[in-house]
Amino acid sequence: MTQTLCDTVELTIPCRPEYVGVARLAVLGIASRMPFSYDEVEDVRLAVGEACTHAVERAGSTVAQIKIVSTIDSVALVIEVSDDVPADAEPVIPDEDAQALAAAGVDQQGLGALLMEILVDEVKITSTASGTSVRLTKFAPE
Amino acid sequence: MNLTINSRTPNETTRILEIEGEIDVYTSPQLKQEIVKLAEGGVKHLIINLSKVEYLDSTGLGVLIGGLKRLREAEGNLVLVGPALRILRIFEITGLDKIFDIYATEEDAAAKEGVTL
Repeated sequence: MTQTLCDTVELTIPCRPEYVGVARLAVLGIASRMPFSYDEVEDVRLAVGEACTHAVERAGSTVAQIKIVSTIDSVALVIEVSDDVPADAEPVIPDEDAQALAAAGVDQQGLGALLMEILVDEVKITSTASGTSVRLTKFAPE
Repeated sequence: MNLTINSRTPNETTRILEIEGEIDVYTSPQLKQEIVKLAEGGVKHLIINLSKVEYLDSTGLGVLIGGLKRLREAEGNLVLVGPALRILRIFEITGLDKIFDIYATEEDAAAKEGVTL
């Protein structure tokens, strides 16, 4: 019987801009446990940063939290970034910014989603009335 | 986790902003405020030196795009200088390297933009 080692690291942060860097730092350490290249570790860090940013931008001034659960095994690193911001919360990017970006043909939240899609192997976003979960998977190199 | 912005004024309508640190959801409002202030003060050419930027996310990209649009409307430009390969890659994978003028050095940027340093 083959034993599969599976380590889990959990981190909960306030859903506010100043804490996103804390999540990135933690993820840097966690991703370094995997046989990833320097670039791959950086990719995971940015993807998690984007997932947290997505939560923060919807949270506004609420007392929401972000829970980051990282699961490491020999096959992949799976990081689930969950918030308790109601799914119907509107993004709090100031109007003038959203307009300027739209006029330039850019949707900032779309950029964040695009980055996540490119940087990791799988992205699964689940929204419910009680919150949103972004599940990021990066497979170990063969 | 901090952002430092050093501003230099080679001439009246040009500013060089040397940015150091991480541009993310926490620090990008600071950069945005600086760009808006300069644009409203009549600056037309903004040379943003990214060589000491270690991290850039979608909010930072959003701020740079907003600034680019603002300055191009004023018939100026916002150009980027010296991003590390890691940062340059973010522009490439989002296709934004085709929107921004990105130069290796401040001198290159000034020469190509017709600005005297």
